[in-house]
Amino acid sequence: MVPGLTASLPALDGPALRLADAVGEGPAVLLFVHADCPTSLLALRRLPAETPLPLVVIAQDTLPEAARLARRARPHARVLVDVPPYAVSREWDVTTVPTAVLVRAGGGPGRRVVGWDREALAGLLGVPLPDEPPAQKPGCGSRWTYQEQPGGLDELEDMFERGWSDGLPVVPPTRERVEAMLGGRDPARSLGRVPPVGGEATLERVAACAVLAGCRPEHFPLVEAAVEAALDPAFNIHGINVTTQPAGPIVIVNGPARERAGLNSGMGALGPGTRGNATVGRALRLCLSLTGGAVPGGLDRSTLGHPGKVGLCIAENEEASPWPPLHVERGFAAGASTVTVLACDAPLSVSDHRSRSAEELALVLARAAEATWSPFWWPMDDDTLFVVCPEHAALFAAAGWDKQRLRREIFEAAVRPAGELRRGETTPIVRESRDDESIHKWTDRERILIVCAGGEAGRYSAVFGPCDGMGTRPVTREVRWST
Amino acid sequence: MEYVSPLDPRVAQPVRPAPRPAGLAGRTVVLLDIRKARGDEFLDRLAELLHERGAATVRMAKETFSKPASGEVVAAVPLHGDLAVEALAD
Repeated sequence: MVPGLTASLPALDGPALRLADAVGEGPAVLLFVHADCPTSLLALRRLPAETPLPLVVIAQDTLPEAARLARRARPHARVLVDVPPYAVSREWDVTTVPTAVLVRAGGGPGRRVVGWDREALAGLLGVPLPDEPPAQKPGCGSRWTYQEQPGGLDELEDMFERGWSDGLPVVPPTRERVEAMLGGRDPARSLGRVPPVGGEATLERVAACAVLAGCRPEHFPLVEAAVEAALDPAFNIHGINVTTQPAGPIVIVNGPARERAGLNSGMGALGPGTRGNATVGRALRLCLSLTGGAVPGGLDRSTLGHPGKVGLCIAENEEASPWPPLHVERGFAAGASTVTVLACDAPLSVSDHRSRSAEELALVLARAAEATWSPFWWPMDDDTLFVVCPEHAALFAAAGWDKQRLRREIFEAAVRPAGELRRGETTPIVRESRDDESIHKWTDRERILIVCAGGEAGRYSAVFGPCDGMGTRPVTREVRWST
Repeated sequence: MEYVSPLDPRVAQPVRPAPRPAGLAGRTVVLLDIRKARGDEFLDRLAELLHERGAATVRMAKETFSKPASGEVVAAVPLHGDLAVEALAD
């Protein structure tokens, strides 16, 4: 049977078109491709800007797949779409992609080039092709010749092309995975609208973000609570999402949820290495950037960002801590599970293996914090997080210091006369003060948060500078385990 | 393959900018200060340039730079002028 040109195919650049109208009176060249075939992509990218014969690309794809293929390859040719069940490809007996077929004057099929063969295709098109390797490359099976697997041949690439990523590979949010993540929760229940674009954070979308991030269902109650906390107006996620500052949200987990979700609060507590820590923070971030539209370089205007913005979730090492944990300080029962969200910069590690008094160690931590946000910007009005390692915490506890005492001592140690602070970026308070007037690094000692985390050996604590001037406050939410 | 999208399709549509004005003479321009440091200096200079071109100006301000303008401010801007300029500075 001689293949015909009567079929009408959807076009990417306009209304559906009959093949006969696309090729004209002939001769012309049809180039069959599909989006999962690397050789097709190679061929499309090597097509010349102009060809002596009319050239029509026929993509064996759905319309969205073909559109994504065209965005990736930007071929210099009209693209028509041979949607499932790929009737035109069958009719033209195209079993491999890419295949270029000459359509003779009058419509009959002529020579064909199967796979990528630079010289043969140049001969068919009548124009030289770029002299770049490879000169030849085998093609892939036509869609109609095999049973397709879910998601095509490369569903991970598909996720990148949809923009559903933070730059790392993600887990495709299939309906089955999202339902497993939801665990019977109402998919339509909304946690609120996510700034800046105001996408509605339905539980279904939050679950999709959790799947993308690589969470397991036991992590989802933490993700749900973190999103809920981040959308509390007191957190001002709008400002955090769009600021030029590098800051992003950190999630701090307390209570039995740490064990239930398999979080690491010990050695390497700030990561990497533990799935729960890595994915819970990432799920929140994906919700902010996908549902909320805070895409770096788009509406997320951060000049630099920081590596922790991919996702940052830590658990307090309550077992090694000599103090009441963060959630108890914030009014929750010791047995409750909570997440606290806080906006902060990248951590600054503070090594101190030599201090032998609590006063000396508090001064070291205070001096490290003095440089955060900007060295002469005193006082800061948003929250700074100190992650105190167990050995440092033990030294403070041995001196009889509770968290409140440590907070006070750090606050009192970070103080300078205004005259020393009139450099570069400084505050109106410094500018308007007398030279000898004392200025603290924080407006209030309550702007200092302390948690204990990390391994039992090694004297390294960390300080996370604030997202200053943003009017953001930490928000804590209880984790709900039931549906 | 069916995936559950993390995107809200209702907000996927980009907002089309309003057409550019034909001219400035005789128009009133709202200069909206978002309260970022030195935004007022930028708007002062802009006001001078607009006045030279025959436009009148009205100064308004957001409550804080770090949050969206309140509904009251958003509603008031078109009542006070034909055009608006929002200042960002630092």
